[in-house]
Amino acid sequence: MPSQQPTESVLNPIVIVGAGHSGVAVAAGLRSRGWEGDILLLEAEKEAPYERPPLSKELLKAGAPDESTVLRKEKFYHDKRIDRRAGLTVDAIDPAGRTVELSDGSRHGYHRLVIATGSRARSLTVPGAELPGVQALRTRDDALELKRALVPGARVAIIGAGYIGLEVAAAAAAKGCDVTVLEFQDRVMSRVTSEPVSRFFERLHEQNGVRFVFGAAVTAVEGSDRAERVVTADGAAYPADVVLAGIGVVPNQELAAEAGLQCQDGILVDDDGRTSVPGIYATGDVTRFTSTIDGASQRLECIQNAMAQADRVAADITGQAPADPEIPWFWTVQHGVRLQTAGVRHPDDDVIVRGTPAEVKFSVVYLRDGRLAAVDTIAGLTDFRPAKKLIAQKTRIDPLLAADPGTPLTDAAFAAS
Amino acid sequence: MSNNKLTVIDREGSTHDLQWEPDQTLMEALRDNDLPVLASCGGTASCATCHVFLEKEVFDTLAERSEDELELLVDAEGYQECGSRLSCQLAFSQDLNGVTVTLAPEE
Repeated sequence: MPSQQPTESVLNPIVIVGAGHSGVAVAAGLRSRGWEGDILLLEAEKEAPYERPPLSKELLKAGAPDESTVLRKEKFYHDKRIDRRAGLTVDAIDPAGRTVELSDGSRHGYHRLVIATGSRARSLTVPGAELPGVQALRTRDDALELKRALVPGARVAIIGAGYIGLEVAAAAAAKGCDVTVLEFQDRVMSRVTSEPVSRFFERLHEQNGVRFVFGAAVTAVEGSDRAERVVTADGAAYPADVVLAGIGVVPNQELAAEAGLQCQDGILVDDDGRTSVPGIYATGDVTRFTSTIDGASQRLECIQNAMAQADRVAADITGQAPADPEIPWFWTVQHGVRLQTAGVRHPDDDVIVRGTPAEVKFSVVYLRDGRLAAVDTIAGLTDFRPAKKLIAQKTRIDPLLAADPGTPLTDAAFAAS
Repeated sequence: MSNNKLTVIDREGSTHDLQWEPDQTLMEALRDNDLPVLASCGGTASCATCHVFLEKEVFDTLAERSEDELELLVDAEGYQECGSRLSCQLAFSQDLNGVTVTLAPEE
């Protein structure tokens, strides 16, 4: 991509569109890297930027306070001279004039523009999806609405057995709801993990009263004035007071696409977060990029990536070296059991289970061409940190040694790799 | 309440003197003063990226670590049985005025 041409006045601010994890981290990173120019941070939501992971976990628990955990206290934005404007969106970008037009009609020139608009929950599109009682979970308002609906005895139908669906299933079951999870695939979390891990979490949920229906193709939500049941293609109907759709996310790329930035299910960016248009960066969930590890084109919907990309953007803008790349990692907690993953597994990786899934604590390593590509750790992090290093080094692993949980993962590496 | 004074030893061994404000957890005081504390999970004892070492005399005065915090710490790099804490789990307390905190190695 063309190099930046810093010919325009740096009196213009760096404008950051979106104050989620990545947008806020760009602002913070610019300051910690010594950037002294103005920073304008725009956020569509009215309230101060907040943490999203707790929305599907801690916030839903009985007795948990409604207050969200803010990313940074007000004083931080003040002290760091970050001009944060809530309730404002960008209506249009003029890349040639290096200006943005905001939803309040004002125009702002920018020195650099950073698009950190994130993603939104994929909408359920079947008939009846608009009925009251049907919702997704992405924002704090979504979480509070869901929390109020999860009362003891409520019949909860969850569409999609991914992280969000399963975390909500766990929270709902803990609150005494009657929970059914409808999943099109034949196992939970099929996109992100292997069958042994799926089966372990299915048993864990079932022991806590959650029912699963696999191969379920939802065709409609029915009800007279609010959701009463979810109907599947085989004609079955599942009574529901609450319907949660956890069917993935969609990048908020429309603004960028309209301005002519190259997008392909995500704004295309290079290793430094540069888009196809000079002077404009993108970071976080909204981006698609080429993995430095396996060359795959990917969107990574995780905090680790949101923070790492933000750092690279801040480094590029300030002309400094970024931190070393980090292996992507992810976590979920369901019924108090943590699943933490390092690396991005492929469906045809070799799967080696370390330990016995019946004993709760175990891990699963994934080998690609004999080299460690990813690891899932369940209820224990012993393998997590060593695995991250071995993945980064694309280390060859002895599958027999790796299958023995008593052998440290590092000792399962072949000497010459 | 007035601020605590805080001394931080970073991963290169350099010393930083900070103000720890009453409405901050220790993690927030570190992060908001530009120390390299990732705190990926936002302070919910889920990720161990805010791991610090405290001096044993200080450590011993604190409440016990939760099960979650301990599980994350025991496998973390450089774990100290009588020194390792997740800084997100340490609320401001005037008893902690003047303490020295060492950043644990990065995961």
